[in-house]
Amino acid sequence: MDALVEFLFKYRPAAFARGVLGVDPLIPAWLVAAAAVVIAALGGWTLWRAAGSASLRTRAGLGALRVGAIALLAWCLCRPVLVVAESIDQRNVVAVLLDDSRSMRIADVNGASRASAALHLAGGPDSALLRALGARYQVRVYRTSAAGRVANAGSLAFDGARTRLLGAVARVEDELVGAPLAGVVVLSDGADNGGRDVGAPSTQDQLSTLRARGVPVYTVGIGSARFGKDIEVAQLEVPHHALRNATVLLDVQIAQRGFGGATLPVVVEDSGRVVASQQVTFPRDGEVASVRLRVPVPEPGARMWRVRVAVQPGEEVSENNERRAVVTVQDRHEKVLYVEGEPRPEIKFARRAVEGDAQLQLVTLLRSAKDKYLRLGVDDSLELVNGFPTTRAQLFGYRAIVLGSIEASFFTGDQLRMMADFVSERGGGLLALGGRASFAEGGFASTTLADLLPIEMTPVSRGDSLRATEITAVATPAGLRHPALQVEGSDSAVAERWRTLPPLTTVNALGRAKAGATVLLEGRTGERGALRPLLAFQRYGRGRVLALGAQDDWLWQMHADIAVDDSTHERLWRQMLRWLVSDVPDRVEPLLPDEAGPGEAVVLRAIVRDSAFLKRNGASVSATVISPSGAEQVVPFDWAVDRDGEYTASFVPDTDGVHEVRVRAVAGRDTVKAAPGFVRVVEPIDEYFGAERRDALLAQLASETGGRRYEADRATDVARDIVYSPSGSTQVRRLDIWDMPVVFVLLTMLLGGEWWWRRRRGLR
Amino acid sequence: MTRRRWTLITLLVALPALALSAQRFNRVSPGEHPNPNAKYDGRFVFIRVKFEPLGGLRDLKWDHDYPVAETHFLKILEEVSSMHPQIAETSILGFGDPELFKFPVAYVSEPGFWTMSPAELTGVRAYVQKGGFIIFDDFSTRHWINFEEKWRTAFPNLTLVKLDVSHPMFDSFYHIKTLDMTHPYFGLKSEFWGAYEDNDPKKRLVMVANYNNDIGDYMEWSDQGLLPVPLTNEAYKLAVNYVVYALTH
Repeated sequence: MDALVEFLFKYRPAAFARGVLGVDPLIPAWLVAAAAVVIAALGGWTLWRAAGSASLRTRAGLGALRVGAIALLAWCLCRPVLVVAESIDQRNVVAVLLDDSRSMRIADVNGASRASAALHLAGGPDSALLRALGARYQVRVYRTSAAGRVANAGSLAFDGARTRLLGAVARVEDELVGAPLAGVVVLSDGADNGGRDVGAPSTQDQLSTLRARGVPVYTVGIGSARFGKDIEVAQLEVPHHALRNATVLLDVQIAQRGFGGATLPVVVEDSGRVVASQQVTFPRDGEVASVRLRVPVPEPGARMWRVRVAVQPGEEVSENNERRAVVTVQDRHEKVLYVEGEPRPEIKFARRAVEGDAQLQLVTLLRSAKDKYLRLGVDDSLELVNGFPTTRAQLFGYRAIVLGSIEASFFTGDQLRMMADFVSERGGGLLALGGRASFAEGGFASTTLADLLPIEMTPVSRGDSLRATEITAVATPAGLRHPALQVEGSDSAVAERWRTLPPLTTVNALGRAKAGATVLLEGRTGERGALRPLLAFQRYGRGRVLALGAQDDWLWQMHADIAVDDSTHERLWRQMLRWLVSDVPDRVEPLLPDEAGPGEAVVLRAIVRDSAFLKRNGASVSATVISPSGAEQVVPFDWAVDRDGEYTASFVPDTDGVHEVRVRAVAGRDTVKAAPGFVRVVEPIDEYFGAERRDALLAQLASETGGRRYEADRATDVARDIVYSPSGSTQVRRLDIWDMPVVFVLLTMLLGGEWWWRRRRGLR
Repeated sequence: MTRRRWTLITLLVALPALALSAQRFNRVSPGEHPNPNAKYDGRFVFIRVKFEPLGGLRDLKWDHDYPVAETHFLKILEEVSSMHPQIAETSILGFGDPELFKFPVAYVSEPGFWTMSPAELTGVRAYVQKGGFIIFDDFSTRHWINFEEKWRTAFPNLTLVKLDVSHPMFDSFYHIKTLDMTHPYFGLKSEFWGAYEDNDPKKRLVMVANYNNDIGDYMEWSDQGLLPVPLTNEAYKLAVNYVVYALTH
């Protein structure tokens, strides 16, 4: 296409994109215009007479063609020019940036690797692109994986563990500050996987920076935009933390090309041992398959999981058939405060459900009468001795709160606000249960807690009588995938169990789910009654809030239709509470990367809070890093001055394997230790995911900076387009365009068209 | 003493006895015409368990003190605690009745006459295993034999243990300081027996048995002044504690 344009218009499209039109007439333009008008008038009059018998439409058409031809000739006589800036020969520098990451090893360019295709273009002075550029520019070659010029591109190993494409462009421009840089030519497959770095700027921010510098970037896409055959574990969702004895859900997305309809096993391995597997039948070619696997975690510590699909014959990339995950299994006691307003079976069955779970401690505060409490599951005689906590430090010691049937007026305003802060600031969980004094019926509709709850409440007048309504639970699609509702061992069994549970009752007039809420269970009244939210959750600040609208979920344990050995109720409660506390931060919250490459600096962050969970500056924070060999090193943290309570540190691991990180903060007399975290040092494999050539980023990079994207087979066109770069040392050129072939083609068409029309009408 | 005089004396003694026995024989047991059962609405309902009494003739046994005892108790329960029980209606259900499983606390009167059909045997086992709690009351002396036999039939692996006042059940609502109590009529020293889930004292009690005691009677007559007030109070305190314990353990 470019060649056709260049043939017709004499110059590259880049020239027209950069330049402005002007005229350099040899004789005054007004004279040319006047002559053109006279000639056009004479020609038109002559034509009018000659075509006297023709229709008005014909005469008008012929006139227009003739006037057009005369106008075009007049424009040529004015000597039109394209005014454009051009690089001055041998006075400018062009940087060629070679992507030397591992994904360039993929052999998808007519059987050759991307690296060889790139080297063909820019592997040495005699390579096609460098030779073309070298005719006019000083060419300097760089690579993406490291700073500094590349003396001999042919010796590149193409072993970059990650590609930070935009960062590399910026780095090259930085290195050439002060030099007349006409442009940067990027040869890449378009991968950019450096955005996961802690504190790394966003793609948009980096593009804005590059745009502001005004140096055009010309990108050359290397590799195939679509693989013939490949299977890729495209996405793996797994929680970072899990409590011991949980069953962790792994949501896996598998992309494939060329394997539509095939059935293959997906396997989860833990340190080489298969811990779960499932057959997956791929949908149509190119479509993604979703798989859910369940892995029990009976032992504490760091679990190293590999989710993989066996490499199939003919696959273009084998490294992307697996993904890795590190899950920290914690053996800890999560204290949950259950506050209840009256003795009712809910307490008994909730406690029974949780009592066998060594990771959960349900501390129950039951108001058995006015100003009289029964405390169950407390650690000592002082815990909750004065009833519901009155200070943040007391309340925030728990990880979740279960709010039973207890009216809002039981709490002071401060206590209600504290509960809201418990969720939003401390990041704790809240489970609100249905009951005669719950939700709007308990007077919560006009309190701070109304904002927390995921379900709308309609204020109820005190005179309204409470009527129990029977509701049958219906699991929503979101519910069937939610960890709390996994009461059986397979997707089909889970769906079947939720379909067959006996009905419960509610006395609460629960409204719709809020906009940001997710409904897990709906309640149906009667055979074909309306559905309303029964179990829903929403995030509120840092924490999570669950609302269960039934007053007697214990019937799922006690009901005559429930088998004696059925564990639905028990699992539901344990999993609801485990889910609520799963991401609740400690006072010292380490923020660690899952993985780091060998030799890469591992950036550690930690948030430190006091007992009231207010962010604490001025603490002395350090981490003990224990390498796989058992060697320990203490890494001190520095306070990140611009962020309250945040501290950062880094270390460079000297061996591969799992490193345990124990963060400790000392503030005054207060010493707090965080739960151990884990960082796995391993060769990164990010490069092989989404490894088809990604044109989108290349096109965006080029368009944002004023450059252009090229296919590899047209890469040498860069040398012809970069001439018109406004960057570097330039001179203004006025290029004649009156002699463009397209002008003669147009003139011929106008005159020939008039002649053909006249002949057709039998005119002279 | 002449024969005529002996005859007169015999008649004077025998006639009232005959009259009394006839009256008892013809007595309509309150359980024969019970009030309608309470409808489940999530609130606490007093459940009295019915059974075919062992040689009970027209005396159903399980309905002793019905319905006055429970009515009095429910009023007290609502008054002293934060509970909102159903007061106007109570229920009578058998261990084989599926409806029983909506109510996790059940009261059995006169277990000395307790019998179980196969369905009831299955029912009581499931009730306890799922989390139900049973209060046995109103039995003494030789009644223990039948009670223990039936308990062992239903729960051969759950050992009956004698409770003392240190058990948390006696501190679940009222702090009961002593279990020194006597049967309302026979003056027998009361004993309190229980059985732990899985025979593990760290786990919950699945039942309590008021042997040589009759807290139902204490509660039934509490508005008549027939029985000593201090003991009646203790009976109420025990009953409240049993219910609070049962709903929380």
